Amino acid sequence: MIGILTDTTKCIGCFKCVEACKSTYNLPGDYPRRWTQHDGLSALNWTSIVVKSDDQFVRKQCRHCLEPACASACPVGALEKMPEGPVVYHNHKCLGCRYCMMACPYGIPRYDWDQRVPYVRKCILCYDRVKNGQQPACTEACPTEATIFGERDELLKIARRRIRENPGKYFQDRIWGEHEIGGTAVIYLSDMDLSFLSYGKRLSHEPLPHTTENAMNAVLPAFGGMGATMIGLHWIISRRIQRAKEKEHKGGSE
Amino acid sequence: MDRIRIFKLFLWCITGLGISAAVARFVFGLGVSTNLSDNTAWGFWIGFDVVSGVALAAGGFVITATVYVMRREEFHPIVKPAVLTAFLGYLAVIVGLLFDLGLPWNIWHATIYWQHHSALFEVAWCVMLYTLVLALEFSPVPLEETSRYAKIRAFLMRYRLVFVILGIMLSTLHQSSLGSLFLIMPYKLHPLWYTPILPILFFISAVGLGLMMVTLESLITSFLYRRKTETHLLAKLGKAAIYVIAVYALVRFIDLGARGKFGFIFEGSRESVLFIIEIMMVIIIPLVLLNIPRARNSSKGLWTVSLLVVLGTVFNRINVAGVTMVRTTGSTYVPSLSEILISASVVSAAALVFFFAVEHFKIWENKAQDPQTKVEKMPEFDRVSNTWLGTPKVSARVKYSLAFVLSIAVGIMFWPFERLESRGIDPMPVVKARGGDTLIVNGNRNFDLVVFKHKFHEEKLGGQNSCGLCHHMNIPGDRNSGCWQCHSDMYRMTDAFRHDWHGSPRGANLPCAECHAPDQAKLAETAKTCDKCHNDLYPPGSQIMVENHMAIGYVDAMHGSCVGCHKAKKDEVGRPNLALCSTCHIKSVSDSVNQAIAMKYSPRKSTWVTIPKEEDQKIYEP
Repeated sequence: MIGILTDTTKCIGCFKCVEACKSTYNLPGDYPRRWTQHDGLSALNWTSIVVKSDDQFVRKQCRHCLEPACASACPVGALEKMPEGPVVYHNHKCLGCRYCMMACPYGIPRYDWDQRVPYVRKCILCYDRVKNGQQPACTEACPTEATIFGERDELLKIARRRIRENPGKYFQDRIWGEHEIGGTAVIYLSDMDLSFLSYGKRLSHEPLPHTTENAMNAVLPAFGGMGATMIGLHWIISRRIQRAKEKEHKGGSE
Repeated sequence: MDRIRIFKLFLWCITGLGISAAVARFVFGLGVSTNLSDNTAWGFWIGFDVVSGVALAAGGFVITATVYVMRREEFHPIVKPAVLTAFLGYLAVIVGLLFDLGLPWNIWHATIYWQHHSALFEVAWCVMLYTLVLALEFSPVPLEETSRYAKIRAFLMRYRLVFVILGIMLSTLHQSSLGSLFLIMPYKLHPLWYTPILPILFFISAVGLGLMMVTLESLITSFLYRRKTETHLLAKLGKAAIYVIAVYALVRFIDLGARGKFGFIFEGSRESVLFIIEIMMVIIIPLVLLNIPRARNSSKGLWTVSLLVVLGTVFNRINVAGVTMVRTTGSTYVPSLSEILISASVVSAAALVFFFAVEHFKIWENKAQDPQTKVEKMPEFDRVSNTWLGTPKVSARVKYSLAFVLSIAVGIMFWPFERLESRGIDPMPVVKARGGDTLIVNGNRNFDLVVFKHKFHEEKLGGQNSCGLCHHMNIPGDRNSGCWQCHSDMYRMTDAFRHDWHGSPRGANLPCAECHAPDQAKLAETAKTCDKCHNDLYPPGSQIMVENHMAIGYVDAMHGSCVGCHKAKKDEVGRPNLALCSTCHIKSVSDSVNQAIAMKYSPRKSTWVTIPKEEDQKIYEP
């Protein structure tokens, strides 16, 4: 399982990662539109840098959750969690329901609102490059190693070592994305509260797909149960009516 | 005119407007014709057309269960209209969904790409199958008209119970699964609505809504067609609804208590008010009214209750599907005109089909009277007196067609052209501060203003002859044209030269040879420059000759004329900070970025602006 570790204390806000991403995927220039959010992400910007203050920058991108809500929400499997780690998007399957955008707790997937044939767009952790043994364009471009690529376990080790070596430097000595909603492949170290990256201020450790799982598991029992109940009801009531009729009939003949 | 005719005319108009809006939606795309955005991916179409629409069509399975499974034969007269309403309701949901989907031609993908973890996948399958089942349940009615299909009809009637039970099973699943859709958003939904038993709540309320929807539909049609209302049946439905609503209330409040969220009701926030309105509409008022036998047995009481429950449940669905998420997402979504028109037209079209069906098939005991079939006598021309005899009458069909076509044309007026033209954010004009010479530039629209002291700059740059330094070009006939008149887009280059207008007979009406030499290729590069004809284009002192007819974006224009000059002059006047952003953007850069995020560039929000006092600005004076 691969991942990315972003240490916001090392980021100098040079936007090299954004540029690398855009040139790798031939994304044209972007400008604020009615539907864009002000975190800089859009269908044409798959990663962005949120400027929190003069020297605090947070790179925003898809978190590639270990159990992604978007992939479990998609009715046709257009979003798919690859065994290597990235959550990728299949254009040809998508029907444009935008349930993934509603489901994502980080609000990452963006839509081609101005296109007549719109698709969902988000970071795909450079799946093609990763498969060929390269690293993602953004981590390759970073001049300060603020964002690094590797196996998720290795990255967690590095993060823990940095926290151990610099006590008090990081916010709550916390690795963002280690456990929330089941863990994410893109993890953060930061000297500030990064809860603004997600919709819930405090994400629980339970993966989001589990919330629908109970309801989905009840589907077949409910289907069968309802059918059995209805057939049973019909049988009982019909018999009662039949008996009442017979009784009436008998009463009439006597 | 008859009620039904007026109502039909109205429906034809709405349908026409909606068709116009629908064309615009497919031609221009979702971004232009809706107000949906990246943080409000689902809007009115999902909340009303789909989530509410499916619930509103619940009457079908409730009534068929009552009549065919529980053998309550006395409800037989309302089975056919209930099934028809449900069938049309589901068709409306599917049509409504076609507008909302980004790639509607892929709607069938759920049949080949299976993803059984998704609640939406299950809803899609159930809706497809149930629509088919409803078609089978309803088709005996139109087949009755001719004896040719007697065999098919007999077959369908024989297996009706199977279809009914299958329909109930499918309905149970997707009515509840619509609630499951929102289980994956625990952090977005407000705690008063988010509960793991949301599917169960959706199912129970759908049953209650089904009963009330059948009541309402019966009341409306009997009002329109002046039929006798089946009040005795409807009162019985109302009595049944008491139990359903009571169970719903019980489950909902026990769940709230079990999760310990009662406190939110009395929070006084927007959500708590929404919740209280919802509870009043769906639970408290209907329960009280239905428990009074006099209200239950009168058509006024039934009207009130059924309207309250129907609107209240729709309100509940829309709340779950979006309104209660606003607190976390900070969305400023309000449905656009196109969205509302298209939704309304889908509903109107379904209603028109319903009226067609009751007029042509045996849905009720007697077919409804068809106002169109009335023979209308055309006026005759009398040659002797040279006049028309008889009042000219236009048949209803002609009126409907006319209304429909006209409203399609009127609908084009509402096409969102203004959104198309502005490919981005239009720049704000420079405003003059009240009672002074100072100009206010609110380019970013975040009220983080650049205050430009006009007289000060004029004096520094050399008085009367310096106008041309900044106003490097004027629109012909104008003096000191504002920057935004040519630099009309915030970020992109725009056309400053209007070629069409120059050639058009209604514009300048010039022949091609006026600008393009006859022996040369007709290119922008070889054409006459603008100042050959417009002598007043370049004001005195102007240092810029514009050969290019494209004007750069507003941001670049403003920065280009200010920053360049500031950079050049900073050493000359001995102010090394002159070329920094903070010289003009008075607040610090980080502040402005944060403020921009906070204000979200929303033109709806406005604040009072305080212009910095003279003392504050003094530090910048040389």
